[in-house]
Amino acid sequence: MKIVGSSRPIHDAKAKVTGSVRYAGDFDLPGMLYAAVIFSQIPHGYVTKVNVDRAMEVGGVVEILHCFNTTDRPYNRFRTMKGQKTLEQDRIFQRHVRYVGDRVGCVLAETPQAAREAAALVEVTYDPLPFATTVSEVLEGKIDCIHSEGAVFGEVELAFGKEPEMRPDTVETVTETFLPRLTHMTMETHCCVASWDRAMEQLTVWSPNQSVYGIRTVLAELFDLPYEKVRVVKTTMGGSFGAKQEWVLEPVTAAAALRTGRPVKLVYNRAECMVSTISRGPIHAKFVTKITPQGKIQSMGADVILDSGAYVGNACDYIQALASKFFRCYSYPFAHYTGRAVCTNTPMSGAYRGWSAPEMYTMMEHNLNMAARRLHMDPLELRLRNVALPGEVDRKTGLSLGEIRIRECLLLGREKFFWEKRKKENRAFNAGQTRFRRGIAVGCAGHVNGYYPRFPDYAGVSMRVNESSGIQVLATLHDHGCGTVTAMKMIVSEVLDLPLEKIQISEGDTAVTPHDVGCFASRSTYVIGRALFDCSEKLRDELLEACGRWQNTDSSELWVKDGEIRFSDGRAVSYGDVALWMLREEQKELWVNHQSQSQSNPGVTGAHFAGVEVDTCTGMVKLLDYLAVHDIGQAINREMCVAQIQGAVAMGSGAALSEHMDTNPKNGKTTATMKDYHVRNTPDFLNVRVELIEDGGTQGPFGAKSIGEACYVPVAAAVAGAVNDALDSDLSSFPLTPDAIVDLMIKREQHEA
Amino acid sequence: MKLEFTVNGKNVSLEVPPDRRLLDILREDLGLTGTKEGCGEGECGACTVLLDRRAVHSCLTVAAQLPGREVVTIEGLSDCGEMSDLQRAFVEETAIQCGYCTTGMVMSARALLYENPNPTEEEIRIALAGNICRCSGYTQIIRAVKRAAAEERGEAERD
Repeated sequence: MKIVGSSRPIHDAKAKVTGSVRYAGDFDLPGMLYAAVIFSQIPHGYVTKVNVDRAMEVGGVVEILHCFNTTDRPYNRFRTMKGQKTLEQDRIFQRHVRYVGDRVGCVLAETPQAAREAAALVEVTYDPLPFATTVSEVLEGKIDCIHSEGAVFGEVELAFGKEPEMRPDTVETVTETFLPRLTHMTMETHCCVASWDRAMEQLTVWSPNQSVYGIRTVLAELFDLPYEKVRVVKTTMGGSFGAKQEWVLEPVTAAAALRTGRPVKLVYNRAECMVSTISRGPIHAKFVTKITPQGKIQSMGADVILDSGAYVGNACDYIQALASKFFRCYSYPFAHYTGRAVCTNTPMSGAYRGWSAPEMYTMMEHNLNMAARRLHMDPLELRLRNVALPGEVDRKTGLSLGEIRIRECLLLGREKFFWEKRKKENRAFNAGQTRFRRGIAVGCAGHVNGYYPRFPDYAGVSMRVNESSGIQVLATLHDHGCGTVTAMKMIVSEVLDLPLEKIQISEGDTAVTPHDVGCFASRSTYVIGRALFDCSEKLRDELLEACGRWQNTDSSELWVKDGEIRFSDGRAVSYGDVALWMLREEQKELWVNHQSQSQSNPGVTGAHFAGVEVDTCTGMVKLLDYLAVHDIGQAINREMCVAQIQGAVAMGSGAALSEHMDTNPKNGKTTATMKDYHVRNTPDFLNVRVELIEDGGTQGPFGAKSIGEACYVPVAAAVAGAVNDALDSDLSSFPLTPDAIVDLMIKREQHEA
Repeated sequence: MKLEFTVNGKNVSLEVPPDRRLLDILREDLGLTGTKEGCGEGECGACTVLLDRRAVHSCLTVAAQLPGREVVTIEGLSDCGEMSDLQRAFVEETAIQCGYCTTGMVMSARALLYENPNPTEEEIRIALAGNICRCSGYTQIIRAVKRAAAEERGEAERD
């Protein structure tokens, strides 16, 4: 292949590196107003009064919207399609506030400074209610009044496969895992611009988001507008990782534009973004495996409590999604799952990179490490005995895992990570002194390529050839900043043998691009990329046939090469010439549509190998080496895949060692600054080694599978596993902070004394 | 206060409150939106600019600190749309993903290379310690800085 598999910069790299690219926060429209949101200062209660008198005196303040003068129609921020079953508890502004940071209103002013100054002067009077910041308090019945339906949602019990008869020597391992609240920490905070054209009755919303059509369905029904009167445009996105998969600022900004008839911009600051958008909800889980003495897994079981925060949002789906991950990596006869989501007076949970898979594999892999100890078996060997092989079935869906390559990932990683040699070296190192402890671990994981078969998954695209041989593609892409647009261009470029620069691809715009559920569920490359691949082939055939008609030649004797149509006699014509001939002679544009439905979801897996050194005096953990091996089918844009994988390791090692948001049980306030939320920076980190297994064989374009979420799934498991190997510990309350490690050391000393 | 200073080589004169952040002066008063706000508290580095050739957080720098001084933003690094060697290295080494950290990262790297034209990898890591990238693992960014340093020294990067 000429281009697929090579490395190309992201499509807007030059605009980004020169500072000319416009994110939504950079928009400056004529007559634009700036919004600042008024947030609840109490964790639970009813707003009884909103006094705006002092705020309105601030120069430049135009309007103040709040819970008593704005629609209180409920909606669900996570909805992506009309008719989708969701619990509707969100409101633009809440009279019943349920956490510190809930929206009560917003100020609109001529400058951002005036809006913020006035927002601080709005006096909100509350009638407080009892509040609970932990699941255990909620389950004791402290805040049953949080929602009319109660505080516990989505209770589920599921079983997959048939439980085999257990022999008496089967080893049962029970582990407990606690995962804290995480924030996505996208470098671009949430922002949105909206305008309402009164004369044309047209609402236009610009935001960095993962589903323009999802926003449209929510806004249209919230404001009683016909769908065609709501235009949602995806803007350049400064990172999402799921954070911009739910509609938080869009309803507020749209309400403000509709009220004033002027364009409105709302940009959250970092604290607002951390507390008042979405986060990954805390999870407390019990995990059980039953394994034969020979190391064959007989069953897995998980009992999960998800702290969904103040509102349910996506939690009923999320709690179910955890169960979808049981059989994406290992093959065994039986799994049992129970789960529920519990509302607390804390920030809302929601989508996060991997959408439950990282949580599932963090607990599963920890349990397998503990089981390997009890079985006196090498943890890598235990995995090799249980990984799913090509053609085996995901027992949850009944669908083939296709060309799954987790076994190959493990074998390659074992060799490249020098697994056996490292084990010996670490033993010698640890025996030689007492302060530092070295350990290694492997973390395996499996993920998905789109929704199928849980939900129907489809994509539509169209392609046109212009007079200068350029290809103009309509597809509803939402590039998160990871290079989706470039990857799609590369697919089209490869099929049409045309330089990348000649291909233009749109991003989501409901007025222009086709219906699409959005760019999440790891579906962009596998599902939309496949549609583009097929459409490109159709377009190539149309080009050849049109050229044949023009030149009175049998199209089967023509072929494309280097951006031209070649003839057997050595002649060549450009795509643009053919398009122009069609326009002039046939009065038709060379235009092809294609729609496709996904029919498969192969196993997409990775095995990550981590080596750490733990300072038992300070509790500091240093990553010594990290190797990520991925079963990717075919890398479309190689270095961007590598960079995403390395970024996932940075993010996941943060989740393992330092990242957590906590809510103060006394006042309900939550971590709201980067000073207290530690993500990896350059000196903290290392050059992650990446190996890709690329033997295609899938229905994705050129045999590709997903990568952006899959690569985050095993990281926390691998890093924590290495720490536990180093310390011979069973730490599974995340993150494994220096404090937690030092506490363990002190307890051990006390025990020995 | 009346503020007179230079931005990207041009003299600028503005009437601003003395506590107005340099970040807001650049973005709102001068329309230079290449400089980004990521945290407003000096933790993320997205707002990094050069003040007298040294990297500073424009969110923590106020008007009162600026009279007579020289500020360079990302817009001042390219010449009529032509990227500098450092910017080109970021593009070609695929060191850019979402791009929100990029301009600050480039400015920190620019300050480093002014001071130390031949930095080691460790020196690059330390110079960029205040710039958070959430998309990558920094590998391509460090490679880009190494490459630009070598090119500026007139050498081919041999890494």
